[in-house]
Amino acid sequence: MRTKRFGVISLLVAFGLILAACAPAAGTPVVQTVIVEGEVMVVTTTPEAPAAAPKVVTGMIGYNDIPTLDPGVAEDTSAITIVNATNVGLTWLDETDATLHPGMAESWDISEDGKTYTFHLRQGIPWVKYDGTQVVEVMDCQETPAARPVTAVDFEYGIKRALAPETASPYAYVLAFAVKGAAEYNSGTGTADDVAVKALDDYTLEVTFLENVAYNANIIGLWTAHAVPKWIIEGDDCTDARGDRWFEPGFFQGFGPFVLKDWVHDSDITIMKNPFWPGTEAIPQAMLDEVKLFFLDSVPAFAEYEAGNLDFTEVPLADIDRVKADPVLSQEYSVYPNLCTYYYGFNTKAPFVDDVRVRRALSMAVDRQSLIDNVTKGGQEPAQWFGRPGLVAAPTMADHPDLGVKYDAAAAKALLDEYLAEKGITAADVDLTLMFNTSSGHQKIAEAIQQMWRETLGLEVKLTNQEWQVFLDTTKDPVNTPQIYRMGWCVDYPDENNFIREVMAKGGSQNPTAGGGINWLNEEFETLVKEAAAEQDPAKRLDMYAQAEEILVMTDAVIAPWYWYTTGNVTKPYVTRTYPVTGHNDFTLWDTSK
Amino acid sequence: MGRYVVRRLLWLIVVLFAVSVITFGLMHAVPGGPFAREKTLPQEIIDNLNKRYHLDEPLPMQYARYISNIIIPKISSLPPGVSTQDDALFNIKLGAVWLKWMNFGPSYLSRSRSVNDIFRDNLPVSIQLGVMALTLSVIIGVPLGILAALKQNTFWDYFGMSIAIFGVSVPVIVFGPILVAIFAVALGWFPATGWGAKPPFTFFFLPTNLNPDYFRRAALPVLALGLGSMAILARLTRATLLQVIREDYIRTARSKGLAERVIIVRHALKNALIPVITVLGPLFAALVTGTFVTETIFGIAGMGRYFVTSITNRDYPVIMGTILLYAFLLVIANLFVDLAYAWMDPRIRYE
Repeated sequence: MRTKRFGVISLLVAFGLILAACAPAAGTPVVQTVIVEGEVMVVTTTPEAPAAAPKVVTGMIGYNDIPTLDPGVAEDTSAITIVNATNVGLTWLDETDATLHPGMAESWDISEDGKTYTFHLRQGIPWVKYDGTQVVEVMDCQETPAARPVTAVDFEYGIKRALAPETASPYAYVLAFAVKGAAEYNSGTGTADDVAVKALDDYTLEVTFLENVAYNANIIGLWTAHAVPKWIIEGDDCTDARGDRWFEPGFFQGFGPFVLKDWVHDSDITIMKNPFWPGTEAIPQAMLDEVKLFFLDSVPAFAEYEAGNLDFTEVPLADIDRVKADPVLSQEYSVYPNLCTYYYGFNTKAPFVDDVRVRRALSMAVDRQSLIDNVTKGGQEPAQWFGRPGLVAAPTMADHPDLGVKYDAAAAKALLDEYLAEKGITAADVDLTLMFNTSSGHQKIAEAIQQMWRETLGLEVKLTNQEWQVFLDTTKDPVNTPQIYRMGWCVDYPDENNFIREVMAKGGSQNPTAGGGINWLNEEFETLVKEAAAEQDPAKRLDMYAQAEEILVMTDAVIAPWYWYTTGNVTKPYVTRTYPVTGHNDFTLWDTSK
Repeated sequence: MGRYVVRRLLWLIVVLFAVSVITFGLMHAVPGGPFAREKTLPQEIIDNLNKRYHLDEPLPMQYARYISNIIIPKISSLPPGVSTQDDALFNIKLGAVWLKWMNFGPSYLSRSRSVNDIFRDNLPVSIQLGVMALTLSVIIGVPLGILAALKQNTFWDYFGMSIAIFGVSVPVIVFGPILVAIFAVALGWFPATGWGAKPPFTFFFLPTNLNPDYFRRAALPVLALGLGSMAILARLTRATLLQVIREDYIRTARSKGLAERVIIVRHALKNALIPVITVLGPLFAALVTGTFVTETIFGIAGMGRYFVTSITNRDYPVIMGTILLYAFLLVIANLFVDLAYAWMDPRIRYE
């Protein structure tokens, strides 16, 4: 009898606990912990109905915490999104169409030889910070403190700091190959004074580049070359040095359309409107008061969206069909281009794929549209070449519909048969292995392509995978680079040069000088991409890149491009938003009617 | 007893030392490095990064540096690049000791956060989650097991064991999303993600403000995480109790005419719960550190994610730190289990 009661009571206790957890939170005072100037304070407030509700948009930003908000060292999409919202470069990239606009530099003059740029900065834009209750200007150390404006000196400091070997910025190489003296300083063979970046006065910055190329203004506008606040990093008369922690909440200073308000590591980050940002034509004042972004896996993020707790998020692959079929969700779903390309590389020194006919046959035997419709499902675009349309000087499907490689089963089979006959072997003798980095998504794609190769060419290609870091080592190994391997590339700065030359030309990241990767050298290709970089006539430039692409994917068939990325997002109907091709949301153009 | 505890604690040092050597060796033996990227970085950049984090030094030197940073108090502050914590930001007295002595190094992935920061911010969340899940599984699992054993082959037995079998066979990765779909998305009773407490924490691990929202947020992840261990405890309790009540001394007690309640509570239960207590230690350590799936499903900023991602990122100091932490928790939890034995079973003495 007693034990029965014991059991019942324990179950009741358990239910009680669960029910207690459901109690509403309304009307209770809110206790908040805020960090102001390094002091931890606990503030208790009883919420009252605010006069005008702040405009807040919530969403998901990546799976993991943001590694850094330091412009000099940032390298991933999430970090760059926040860096660009809180800090403006000399030039500004329109996130929606990747065109270049003035940023902090109002205008710039270019010297006769096209190498020296003189930037004229906007005046009177103050450094700001969040003080725990509102956004305030950052004051200097004079007897009667005045607001610190953003100056050319701040930019010079930011660029040289990013290049300093001690900073060990992963992205410094982008500046190193573009700015005179930068590579030497970064590799420790030169000094900071050798870097050809100089503040002529408070609002004039002179930068000398190595080459007279079309994308110079683009590169100097990158986040790596942003201004950073020296006084809070190194300290001065009235500011404590915060070193690498200067961008943590409580310390953060910036000058962009938004300011960092709060950042709970591994959980969420909040940026709020900077009222001191005057607004420019390309970068208006923010319409939103706050943007709160959560670090979540796509599945829980989508659940929060469906529960009404998030305003925008990406859609997990497993839910895409349901979203498209749902009358409400399908209206909230948008697919937009993303400047990335998914492709397979061939090790042109490896058996079988050392013959261009085999490579071309493999590339032509894959029905890219079918791959997208049945496997990736994200509305991606079939890729006929490497440089994603939308990049400056990249060919587009509208002007080059027949460029590059297309699905052609018959031609693929004919090419392979020709090769087999010449070698006196059968398809069964062809021993091919495709390697990808371990992931269910890559696996599904590889299996689909394997099946298409089997059906169209009669080839039995083996699949193998390696964990990501090991895979990276393997694919750069001069001897052991697999015959066929998976890769992807996303934009740093939106110019075809960033794709075709920086990745595929000799010394590019998939074509190391020491060997490995695609192991490929074509002098005509090298000349084309080098001369195209310096070509000033956009039409000629585009034409040269089109020729180079044809060599890369068809004539020599060194890589097999599969698709150009898209991003699929759901957004609540009350949110007005833009869709960034660069992958970094620009929240200044967003609004909400909620 | 006191000598036993001291001896065990000394052993702890040996265990942690061995674990650190093995982990250090293994992680450096695995191919790939922390700075490998799809966009291959130029050698100069890699060199700069290696130099910054002392990865250009010989391995024994790196190991010595790592260990000395933990056990030798920080005399001068490290150069700005390797600064690991900001005393002003978390000016807590207890924290000062921890920061001065045990510097677990920087995280290669994050410029501003050290392993100490990760422990300080994320471990309390995992502890809160783990403690609540363990509490839930004990207060439901153990009574359920007892009930099933005492009412063997009745409705209560089948009911309890059905729940237990469900709990053992349905993993968090399935159960979690089901809970979210029903209670968060369809009914809207609970938030689908997030944790109700954020740093800084009281006494290093307690939420600063307890309010209904905290428990509301915790309900689903605690249930999801606790289900598995609850099932384990229920099955184990049932099995051991069934075994014990067939023992001779129970029969003797019955023949003496003792009340059934006294027999069960004083004689049977006390012995039956010893194996249950044995699993509590490792179970607790596992719930605190091994909650990767639960934390991912519910978007909770705990330690579980670091356990997995630090290895894929080759974030050496984070790997070392989390493994050592796990080893420490496991040893301490087992020590408590052993001490509980002596209390439960008079035959066990540790002198």
